Amino acid sequence: MVLAEKNDNSRNGRRSRGPSPNGHVQAESSSEDESPVPVDKIRVGRDYQATCPELQPEAQRKPELLADRALLVWSPTESIPDSKLEDYIVLAKDKYGYNGEQALGMLFWHKHDLDRAVMDLANFTPFPDEWSVEDKVLFEQAFQFHGKSFHRIRQMLPDKSIASLVKYYYSWKKTRTRTSLMDKQARKLNGPKEDGTEDGEARASNDESDHDEKRWTFHRGINRKSGTTSRGGQSSRDSAIQGEGGTCSNCGVFCSIVHRSTKGQLCNSCYQHWRRTGTARPTSGPTIGKRGGGPANTRARGHPPKGMHINHDDLATMASGNAGTLLLKSMERELDSLQRQIQQNKQSISCLKRKHSDSIDDLRPGEDKQRNNPRWSNDELMLAVEGFRKYGKDFKAISEMLGNKTEHLVRTFFINYRKRYDLDHIIKEWERENLPMNAENGDANGDDSDDVICLSPSPPKKDTMKNGNGKIGPQMTTK
Amino acid sequence: MSTQPHSRKRVCYYYDSDIGNYYYGQGHPMKPHRIRMTHNLLLNYGLYRKMEIYRPHKATAEEMTKFHSDDYIRFLRSIRPDNMAEYNKQMQRFNVGEDCPVFDGLYEFCQLSAGGSVAAAVKLNKQASEICINWGGGLHHAKKSEASGFCYVNDIVLGILELLKYHQRVLYIDIDVHHGDGVEEAFYTTDRVMTVSFHKYGEYFPGTGDLRDIGAGKGKYYAVNIPLRDGMDDDAYESIFVPIISKVMETFQPSAVVLQCGADSLTGDRLGCFNLTVKGHGKCVEFVKKYNLPFMMVGGGGYTIRNVSRAWTYETSVALGVEIANELPYNDYFEYFGPDFKLHISPSNMANQNTPEYLEKIKTRLFENLRMLPHAPGVQVQAIPEDAINEESDNEDKVDKDERLPQKDLDKRIVPENEFSDSEDEGEGGRRDNRSYKGRKRPRLDKTNETKEAEEKPKEDPKSEKSEESKASSDDTTTDTG
Repeated sequence: MVLAEKNDNSRNGRRSRGPSPNGHVQAESSSEDESPVPVDKIRVGRDYQATCPELQPEAQRKPELLADRALLVWSPTESIPDSKLEDYIVLAKDKYGYNGEQALGMLFWHKHDLDRAVMDLANFTPFPDEWSVEDKVLFEQAFQFHGKSFHRIRQMLPDKSIASLVKYYYSWKKTRTRTSLMDKQARKLNGPKEDGTEDGEARASNDESDHDEKRWTFHRGINRKSGTTSRGGQSSRDSAIQGEGGTCSNCGVFCSIVHRSTKGQLCNSCYQHWRRTGTARPTSGPTIGKRGGGPANTRARGHPPKGMHINHDDLATMASGNAGTLLLKSMERELDSLQRQIQQNKQSISCLKRKHSDSIDDLRPGEDKQRNNPRWSNDELMLAVEGFRKYGKDFKAISEMLGNKTEHLVRTFFINYRKRYDLDHIIKEWERENLPMNAENGDANGDDSDDVICLSPSPPKKDTMKNGNGKIGPQMTTK
Repeated sequence: MSTQPHSRKRVCYYYDSDIGNYYYGQGHPMKPHRIRMTHNLLLNYGLYRKMEIYRPHKATAEEMTKFHSDDYIRFLRSIRPDNMAEYNKQMQRFNVGEDCPVFDGLYEFCQLSAGGSVAAAVKLNKQASEICINWGGGLHHAKKSEASGFCYVNDIVLGILELLKYHQRVLYIDIDVHHGDGVEEAFYTTDRVMTVSFHKYGEYFPGTGDLRDIGAGKGKYYAVNIPLRDGMDDDAYESIFVPIISKVMETFQPSAVVLQCGADSLTGDRLGCFNLTVKGHGKCVEFVKKYNLPFMMVGGGGYTIRNVSRAWTYETSVALGVEIANELPYNDYFEYFGPDFKLHISPSNMANQNTPEYLEKIKTRLFENLRMLPHAPGVQVQAIPEDAINEESDNEDKVDKDERLPQKDLDKRIVPENEFSDSEDEGEGGRRDNRSYKGRKRPRLDKTNETKEAEEKPKEDPKSEKSEESKASSDDTTTDTG
């Protein structure tokens, strides 16, 4: 009888629980002033409290005899520097398909002996995926039918345990979202077109850089076949652009010799095609290739995501059966590794940024107050003229160099003093000096605007150039 | 990121790779998968390699019955989704079925979660580690013979029982948005475990955790409840957490701490209604860590799983004293963390219904309570209020206590916070649910207490003065005592 009452009571309160628990009906009926009678109570009695064990006197304690009741699977080590450990994990992941935990497990097994662990990596392979294609298809069908009722799904896949189904569900769920996320990402990248330069300095320091870089790795990454990226890859690839090797800005293939053109640097075949026809070589892949592949078409359809192309050779491999799955797997792994790198780079960028902004604030004079000083001293006039010589019509760069003039003021200055200081001449001179750089700037920009395929080898738009240089400018002055 | 330089600690971490594969059922908000997500983040942040990683044993039935009743554990062990029909009656009795469904591998799940916390406690007892973490644990609602609020086996109680073998006093802190009723109930009558719970109170699961629930018998004043309203933000939380925990540390002087890091107090939780960020939540960890006591961190609630794993990852980094970048590393579940892929989250613009005055009021009342503790240095100068201490107390603090309180002390107590004396007498019978308990012969824990309370009773009159200040948390006492 008492029990029944108790049960009733707890059903009102304790048992209901949800997003907006309204279980305590009685509690709320009263107005705020007379506080409600709590329905649920902490119960007292032998049936409810725990029996505390006696405190063992210190003399009787034998902590060393206590069993751990757990299995140690990894313990930290001081002997291996972090960077080496990181390299080891990357190796195990990229080359052998281990996950981070397995890699560390191997190392721990070898008592933190890095060399022996590396040697042993090849001797093991992570469990093969026990899910066959049929299983996956079945799962997907069952999922559509039953939702997340795994025991129902299991009726269609009786050889799988519920645990295995749940596990597969969570990894499958994320691959499902991955594709759409990538599209989203690509769209996002397409969106705000800032004509940033692609060179390393600018990337590390300004805000959009984050963006640029993502785009940058994204583009290159998808197509590069087996060039596993080391962590230092970032800088080495930067130099590659200027040097001999590089990535074709049209088809994205990494090659040892690139040809510079107004379209950016091109691989041999793209370059030849461009020389002959004046148009960009249609990159391969069903969507672009088959239906004539005009640039406008590509853009309209939006598939595959910008910067993603299908390589001829890969297609051939795919067609030839088993190798195809292997290829896909390795690409997937590469994708992971690149994603990892992207995030790592972002982490270091934000870390640098924080350091940077922490220290720079002290050095900055109270610039905000002086930002808008309309009076031009003689020195400033000279400086401004120098500025035009250096940056052309990049008012922003000049204003930043001057420090106490807004961009607007510089513009007014330009208009007012155009004649007096023969600024037009200076600008012209600057343009002459800087024109040969077009090609190089074009290289970099070519990446951003894959879709925008120039029909004629016209020089890049002017403002692109200016902005591009402008970003270098302020850095030089701050140094 | 952090206000103080962290000190390096030996951290042990308990995780079983199977734990993410248990599934409560379609539409159920509790998702053990979040523990795997946390684990994966730790791995990719490089925090994993800085800790000792343990795979816990599965707790045996024998271990679990250190707290739970035999037939309850027997029931948990035998129930399966395919034989549920045979257990109808027991399911009712043990509150298994709705919130706490029967799912595949239920018992194993309990074994892993409990095994982790017990192993963590053993590790601390051995002094082989300063901080032990078991994100699979923290199931604070489970009762001795009853499942509740997604919890079946109370790993925290089992862990604390283990700690009590080597520690005279253990402090339990609960920052889950729900009241830690299971743990509080388990230790409601002991002075060796103080339970401190910060939670949403009022029309909210589980319904317990009133400001005036302060423990019973020997455990009187050893249960501390901080009832809060919707929308607690980082600053408000800190403003109450820090002074209360400081005071508790000062007066209770525990030799080990267990912190339940339920992440449903974060902003945007599916079930929660607070507005904490990962940083604010982590600050609690940071603060407790500073006391350099053997420290056990367990998981708990948390139903927006991407934020749960964010918070627990951050808190692991706090435990380790390692700074981690705001950009999440790439990981197996990276896609879950879009669109920003950052570690830290921003609060929402929801209103904080906890005014500074309200929090201040709670604080002063709780301080008054804490002053009743025998250890309180401030109190030791004066006479010790004897009703907090049992006569046959084997407490190591053999402070001599007066039989009666000096009048001025009594006055001091009664005028500002007379509800406590309400719950004193009710604590043993009255206020506890009239309907179900009043007629029952309840085991009296402490005869001497009772008489003393009876003496104090007449002094309750000034309660009428308190008026609406008590609306926050007090109940209408007349209905009870009458």
